[in-house]
Amino acid sequence: MSAILELKNINKRFGRVVALDNLNLQLKAGEVLGLVGQNGSGKSTLMKMLAGLQAPDSGEILLRGEPVRLRSAAMATSLGIGMVHQEQSLIPNLSVAENIFIDKPNRATRGGLYRWQALYAAARAQLDKIGVKLRPDALIEELSFAERQQVELAKVLAIEELVDHPPIILFDEPTSVLNPDEIKILFREIQRLRSRASIVFISHRLDEILSISDRVIVLTNGVKVADEQVATLDRDELYRLMVGHERSVKPRKTSTATALAPAAPRLKIRNLSDGNRFANLNLDVARGEIVGLVGVQGSGAEELCRTLFGAQDAVSGEIVLDDAPARALSPREAVSNGVAYLPSNRRLEGMLAGRSLIQNMVVTYGLEYGRSRLLVDYRAEAAAAQQWMSRLKVKASSGKERIERLSGGNQQKVVLGKWLMSKQLKLLLLDHPSRGLDPGARDDLFEAIREQARTGMSILFVADTSEEALELADRLMVLKDGEITASYDLRHGVAPSQEDIVRAMV
Amino acid sequence: MNTVNATPAGDSLASRLAGGASRMRGLIPLLVLIVLVAGSSAFAPGMLSFSGLCNFLIDAAPLLILVIGSTLPILAGSIDLSVAGMAALVGVLIVYLHPLFGAWTTPLVLCGAFLFGGLQGYVHAKLQLPSFITTLATLSIFTGLGLLLSNATALPIPDDDSLVGWIAGTTAQVPNSIIVVLGVAAILAALLRYTRLGRDLYALGAGERTAIMSGIDTLRVRCLVFALSALCAGIGGVLLSSITGFSSPGIAGNLLLLSIVGVVLGGTAISGGVGGLGAALVGGAITAWLRVITVMIGVAPTTQNIVFGVMALIAVLLTTDRAKIGIVK
Repeated sequence: MSAILELKNINKRFGRVVALDNLNLQLKAGEVLGLVGQNGSGKSTLMKMLAGLQAPDSGEILLRGEPVRLRSAAMATSLGIGMVHQEQSLIPNLSVAENIFIDKPNRATRGGLYRWQALYAAARAQLDKIGVKLRPDALIEELSFAERQQVELAKVLAIEELVDHPPIILFDEPTSVLNPDEIKILFREIQRLRSRASIVFISHRLDEILSISDRVIVLTNGVKVADEQVATLDRDELYRLMVGHERSVKPRKTSTATALAPAAPRLKIRNLSDGNRFANLNLDVARGEIVGLVGVQGSGAEELCRTLFGAQDAVSGEIVLDDAPARALSPREAVSNGVAYLPSNRRLEGMLAGRSLIQNMVVTYGLEYGRSRLLVDYRAEAAAAQQWMSRLKVKASSGKERIERLSGGNQQKVVLGKWLMSKQLKLLLLDHPSRGLDPGARDDLFEAIREQARTGMSILFVADTSEEALELADRLMVLKDGEITASYDLRHGVAPSQEDIVRAMV
Repeated sequence: MNTVNATPAGDSLASRLAGGASRMRGLIPLLVLIVLVAGSSAFAPGMLSFSGLCNFLIDAAPLLILVIGSTLPILAGSIDLSVAGMAALVGVLIVYLHPLFGAWTTPLVLCGAFLFGGLQGYVHAKLQLPSFITTLATLSIFTGLGLLLSNATALPIPDDDSLVGWIAGTTAQVPNSIIVVLGVAAILAALLRYTRLGRDLYALGAGERTAIMSGIDTLRVRCLVFALSALCAGIGGVLLSSITGFSSPGIAGNLLLLSIVGVVLGGTAISGGVGGLGAALVGGAITAWLRVITVMIGVAPTTQNIVFGVMALIAVLLTTDRAKIGIVK
């Protein structure tokens, strides 16, 4: 079989971070290619490049032997490349039918006018193809999450009628939000497509990769470290390939093991449920302890942090902080209880765009440095902010620089600094603290977190990768479907293998 | 799974240039005001005399205070369209409630305006009703109430009303209405600069979700800014009454548009987070001056609104700092 899609020497950098490093890849006609790798290994960058959302810095993309430049998602679609997004891309206030055909020409428009019945019929045909009974005229916002995922799938599969050659369909972790039955339908559909399309499939669940793919590519830090036929692989072998490269965990820089016999845990979580992603969770965090949570997307780790911070409600259970009930109804309540939260979505929830670094730093606790906590003392709070920024090694020309001009890592340090300005913080929640950070910035950030722990602050963080969790945490919890499936105490020098952790995750 | 997305480094020169340009742009409204004043003084030199300026400022005072008040909700990312209606209603209430409260009527009515504004902010923030529609509805209610209570007729302000009488006077030759405007602006500026309110307000305008996730009480901020906006509108109503000596339910008719135009002309972004009270004063003064110019250059009363509208568009085009505001809606 000849290659339908070929990537040659593709490079892509974001600032100092190498996302893809001289990548070569071939996709053959009628092939299902599994793509695995840890977080930040470049999988999503690769997918976005193929879907026309990002351009490579250098290198060539050949489609059926012809060099192409994919300038936009619409252009990729017209060339027969479709992508099922990890985060949904549907427009909520349009109907199912409009969404399915929004990025492609169709016979239901004539002279710029919709012929609604024809559009609905065409949409129904697409939905029937994947065995979904949805009304084509239903609005997306009225549908459940799983139903939207089905529409997303129908939208991409409709590409096969758009081009007269086999399309290329990209799946970016489609199964993480589906239940087993929905996954079965998806796999049946992929099997059906196999004969007339080429497929790239990303999943964290290695069993799925092994069952659906013909060939697997493993990425680590933007480098292709393995390219194997599935027939020659078993699950353990794939684990080893995925986590085995550069996987010697760095020696723990400091032994927090000396600290603090956990007599009375500072944070106690008892039978906590959010009614959706996690149920009956029990967890203790002691003073000065760093507890890491790992799990695939949807495991409930992020939701646990947001619940502790009052950003989403708990339906039952108990949260106790320093022997006082601390179930917060709003972030404001959590803040006054001494809880801080570093959100994973920095742009939307962490930083105030258009405001200076100092203004971002002082937004929550500036008045702790003021006169009688009523009047702002600009000099005192700016001095404190500057001090924190230099301790966190924020690289900026001055504190008056606007935050959006900084790199992601420096932005993240400022958002963390906002919380560290507090004089009475008890619990620091970190949701993917190293997201988007280059290795140097990450090390700085981790050192700052360890330093906080040494002063007695309790820290609960959701790790991007198990490697990161092993590096930073005193104790490590693995979450799967809202339950703790494994728990390791790392202070006594015995660390679980990456393989053990991944096994508990998926 | 996540992707790295750091912004490329090494654009410091570009960003410094952009920073300098943005500082320049911030001064443009002031430059526009100076050019306008200088230009019109060539036609009518008397306008720049002390008495000419005083007369201008007395005339502009109600508008200035309305612009100051409207700026606060806009900084928070909301908008208060009810200010003109509140100004008219306050004028009517000063007369209507006089038999009950006598000389204390005006202060009491202003307290009422403050509380009602707070309630309006509460309704908007707590019930999550868009401020645009909430205040459009109260604008209609206030205007209607003013017409109802006054029987749609202008009524003389009672002689013994201490506050209105005092405002019409002067202190050391400076009209008291100007002192009121500058005093209110100074107090509010101090509130914004030195208290929790100012900090929370700008954070809320710059990014509401970040503000919430930083532990800011957004409900309290909204209530306060709408209360202050209504209080300013009330003071505007008192100033209007002191100029004419009469209350009139229709007196604030076209002040709504003027007050919003004034906010924008000063460089405050409608989307929130950018701007301030200095900008409000400058923007209000430009608007008032444009209004004077349309009369001065001899535009017939029937076409004044058209000329004013065109001039306002041009002025907004010149003064808006698009780089700072981002997406313009």
